[in-house]
Amino acid sequence: MFSGPLTFAGLGPHFPILQVVIPLIAAPLAVFIGVTSIAFLLAFAASIASLIISYSLLMQVIDGSIISYHIGGWAPPWGIEYRVDAANAFVLLIISAISTVVLPYAKTSIEREIRASAHTLFYACYLLCFTGLLGMVITGDAFNVFVFLEISSLSTYVLVALGAERDKRALTAAFNYLIMGTIGATFFVIGLGLLYMMTGTLNMADLGERLPALSDNRTVQTAFGFIVVGMGLKLAIYPLHLWLPNAYTYAPSAVTAFLAATATKAAIYVLMRFMFSVFAPDFTAATGALNLIILPFAVIAMFAASIIAVFQADLKKTLAYSSIAQIGYMLLGIGYFSHSGITATMIHLFNHAVTKAALFMAVGAIIYQTGTSFIPKLAGLGKQMPWTSAAIVASGLSLIGIPGTAGFISKWVLINGAFEKGWWWMAMLIVASSLIAVIYVWQVVETLYLKKPVGDVVVKEAPLSLLIPTWILVFASIYFGLDTELTLSSARAAADALLGAAPLAAGAGS
Amino acid sequence: MADGFPVAFLFFAGAALLCILPKGNARALLLLAIPVIAGYIIWLLPEGNLWSTSIFELNLELMRVDRLSRIFALVFALAAFLGNLYAWHMRDMVQQVGTLLYAGSAIGAVFAGDLVTLFLYWEGTAIASVFLIWARRTEGAYHTGMRYLIVQIGSGVLLLAGTVLLWRETGSLVFESMTLGSLATWLIFIAFGIKCAFPLLHNWLQDAYPAATITGTVILSAFTTKLAVYALARGFAGTELLIYIGAVMALFPIFYAVIENDLRRVLVYSLNNQLGFMVVGIGVGTELALNGTVTHAFVHILYKALLLMSIGAVMFRTGTAKCSELGGLYKTMPLTMIFCVVGAASISAFPLFSGFVSKSLILSASVDEGYYIVWAMLLFASAGALLYSGIKIPYFAFFAQDSGLRPKEAPWNMLLAMGIAAFLSIAIGVYPAPLYAMLPYELDYVLYTTPHVVTQLQLLFFSALAFTVLQRTGIYPQGLRSINLDTDWTYRRLLPKIISAVGKPAARLWDAIVQFSLRRINNIISGLYRTHGPEGPIAKAWPTGSMVLWIAILLAATLLVSFIDLM
Amino acid sequence: MNDKKIVDDAENLPWLGRKLLWLDKKKNVDRIVYGLYFACAILFAADFMYKKYVLVAVESIPGFYGLYGFFMAIVLVLCAKVMRVFLMRPEDYYAPNDVESEDYPEDQLERLDNNG
Repeated sequence: MFSGPLTFAGLGPHFPILQVVIPLIAAPLAVFIGVTSIAFLLAFAASIASLIISYSLLMQVIDGSIISYHIGGWAPPWGIEYRVDAANAFVLLIISAISTVVLPYAKTSIEREIRASAHTLFYACYLLCFTGLLGMVITGDAFNVFVFLEISSLSTYVLVALGAERDKRALTAAFNYLIMGTIGATFFVIGLGLLYMMTGTLNMADLGERLPALSDNRTVQTAFGFIVVGMGLKLAIYPLHLWLPNAYTYAPSAVTAFLAATATKAAIYVLMRFMFSVFAPDFTAATGALNLIILPFAVIAMFAASIIAVFQADLKKTLAYSSIAQIGYMLLGIGYFSHSGITATMIHLFNHAVTKAALFMAVGAIIYQTGTSFIPKLAGLGKQMPWTSAAIVASGLSLIGIPGTAGFISKWVLINGAFEKGWWWMAMLIVASSLIAVIYVWQVVETLYLKKPVGDVVVKEAPLSLLIPTWILVFASIYFGLDTELTLSSARAAADALLGAAPLAAGAGS
Repeated sequence: MADGFPVAFLFFAGAALLCILPKGNARALLLLAIPVIAGYIIWLLPEGNLWSTSIFELNLELMRVDRLSRIFALVFALAAFLGNLYAWHMRDMVQQVGTLLYAGSAIGAVFAGDLVTLFLYWEGTAIASVFLIWARRTEGAYHTGMRYLIVQIGSGVLLLAGTVLLWRETGSLVFESMTLGSLATWLIFIAFGIKCAFPLLHNWLQDAYPAATITGTVILSAFTTKLAVYALARGFAGTELLIYIGAVMALFPIFYAVIENDLRRVLVYSLNNQLGFMVVGIGVGTELALNGTVTHAFVHILYKALLLMSIGAVMFRTGTAKCSELGGLYKTMPLTMIFCVVGAASISAFPLFSGFVSKSLILSASVDEGYYIVWAMLLFASAGALLYSGIKIPYFAFFAQDSGLRPKEAPWNMLLAMGIAAFLSIAIGVYPAPLYAMLPYELDYVLYTTPHVVTQLQLLFFSALAFTVLQRTGIYPQGLRSINLDTDWTYRRLLPKIISAVGKPAARLWDAIVQFSLRRINNIISGLYRTHGPEGPIAKAWPTGSMVLWIAILLAATLLVSFIDLM
Repeated sequence: MNDKKIVDDAENLPWLGRKLLWLDKKKNVDRIVYGLYFACAILFAADFMYKKYVLVAVESIPGFYGLYGFFMAIVLVLCAKVMRVFLMRPEDYYAPNDVESEDYPEDQLERLDNNG
């Protein structure tokens, strides 16, 4: 089934389950061992193993094939099935790659942000969150998605709350997130319950076969509404984003970098999976949710969140709001309801993960050295922390979408998709909203380089253990702006996988 | 693949390397080494499309090597070498980097096999070269550089527009022979025409080149306009319109050159006139004519650089290049004077000098094809060439009345660069066969025949006689501290005048509108701040209740649209 | 421009410059001019010495190239003189700090006076 230099002989067929189980086992081990350095090594090893596994999975399915893994040998639809295709393999790769870069960064970063006694707890929670995200992406069972969603959410609440060491508001943020997240998860599970009631199955592929016959059924439509809103909350679709800014701002830097790059991405993937694989594309189009809910709110997010970002005084909050705006672009791709739209969403998933993680990590380096991310206090840091500042500028350019950066590729594909539909006005909106990004990125650049430092505190450059991971991602955000081979082909394969063999009816979404 | 690696990248890598080298001779040496290596590589390149890449499904050919592109690339490398040798003493990194990027872009453009690549390098030459003007670091040079940049970028924009239109028409981006007709080809034609300094589109040339630094003008003279000649030869060979454009172009600058005071500007007017010869050759479009154009471009780069180098050397020692301030330098700068005379003899096309080799080809080609009026105009331009640059340049700089200046001879590197250029100018004039062998087409042409030599000498000596008579009778215009109006008057004087005439009332109205809109915008921004700012209701992230409310609203909306749609 | 004639000290001049000093004498310059007259005469005469291949009818006029060159040169200069009346302007016509009116920056020059 799988061969190659990376094979651990005989383990190959079990990669889908190992993907989830390795970090899951590592998490309690980290707590039992109780030594920070070993906990770190354990987490790092688990992350690297996940990365290798997810890469080899992607290479296996990029040609359009599907791996179906039956847990405990129970055949679906009765047993739980893990189902890997190009779409979720690509997301798995994003999550595990980001995690592998963030972990070494986290080791240094949390030294000044979390008290030492909580470090092993941090790694355990981090691994659980990691497990949850991987699990909700890889599984082919609808209820299993809910389980992993809860695993990742609960651990995320703890991770956010760990930021209380630096700022007490982290506790309130975590509490808010807890309430919101729970409501979201509940909505999701209500939706699942309704589906189970109507079909008697929870296997996604099975659901996909049975639901078309029930497309006129009110209960199914209600289930669709609950699932979209519940997942929409997890992915911070615009008016349901309220938990996100504070959670990102007050969480420890490494947590923010990891969550911003992965958590919302996994949720977007799940949303797409339900919209296009579980419910048939035709059904989704017929509900009008794409045109009347997703599209308008995506556009509002692009503008409103960007404008809010301009006015923020805390750099982390600026970036958090910018994330909400970027999620708008991803939803826009879904709203196109076309192959190129889904491709745009998938590629932006990747490019934005890399870019935003790099930015949050650079800001984390500033926090590490200065203890603050309050923009006016960053004046003149360009000279004192040249590498960190340069990282912010470079990935900021990618955030705007300057040619030669990964962000440009996303916008290019997105604008192409708009033209394909004949929506030239949408292309103009995309460009216009990018101009707002120019404003908030420029504000930061101006503060870093053109303003005189406040006070005469000498700030040193961040340590290499922070800079190297940051710059790996900065280079990645430039590299993937120049060489689009891997990202574009993966994103296209993912779009194929999500939409299935059935081609979209022309103009079905418009 | 390795064979056809784009030569332009060598220059770009050199520019990057230069920044990390220590100041001084190491950098100057690098500046010499890169054109030599590039020249060697170009010499050995096989023909064909050697290096292609694709961006967004556009296929880009970065290395189209054939006989036409190779000879232009070679002479560009040679010009870069001479220019850098001439600038050996210079320690200004801005100019050094600018020179490398400029030469690299020009060579890259020559090898461009498609219009997109051509456009990229086309703009590259524009942007890199403006620094050679700004490097003078005076207010006047800054403004001149700005005007230059606007024109050059404008040319690039037209090229891009034409490229896009052509792509939509034909679906092809290949840069090959075109016929004027559609809007696309006209746009490309005009883009080339601007860089080639067609009449009425020419003035950026006379405006900008004399404003550059001493070494910068030498570099500038080689690339941009000859790149345009190459592009025209590639894209529009045989377009009859070009014959008339070229003839006018060969004529009108000589009138200006006679009365111009700044010797470097005289040389630039003469550059424009020489371009006219090349454009006529392209327009005639026969193999003989195109060979003539290519030869002329080749030798012209050498002797024009030589003349500008000699006047540059004078300027380097005296601080000025104006007729009215110079004179009598032959005693203290004799070598520079001799090199200048060699350059003057070449541009005037004296037999045994390089200009003779190429002008004869173009003149013969125009007669062969029956363009007698054009032939007579070119003959006039040749006689004029002797008058305004062949004699005027050396005479007013080194002889004429004594200015009292006694500058020292030019530094060794300048002398060496001039010496090489002078040697090549004579060598090609005496023995043109190796150059003829490199031309795009087979050439069967006997250059040194009695009628050829006698008639050419007659033309030149009688023109010289006319100069002597006019000079001795005091009719020949003397150098006066002045400038002469040219087409730039329209945009430097007329346009501002019109604008201010129309503008005063308009400005008042505009002010009112601006004031009004500013107030509006301020209101909008403060409104946005009130709503989106950190304290604003939209940015509020704390109240759990409002979040839940939103969830309820969104769920209701989703259900509503699902239900209603189906009813 | 200088009223007083500078007398050059031959010692200070480069070797080649010393050789060229004879151009300083008006008599020698006149000699060159006479040489030019003579060369023109010879070239005019040369036109009768060889067989012409006439491509353009006007070429058959004896000394056509010489006459054309001479008269066109005069026309050119006279036209240009007339142009000056209309087109000549002071150096600071466009702006007080134009490249024409401002001095070349001294730090980019290397002025060395041979007269010490």
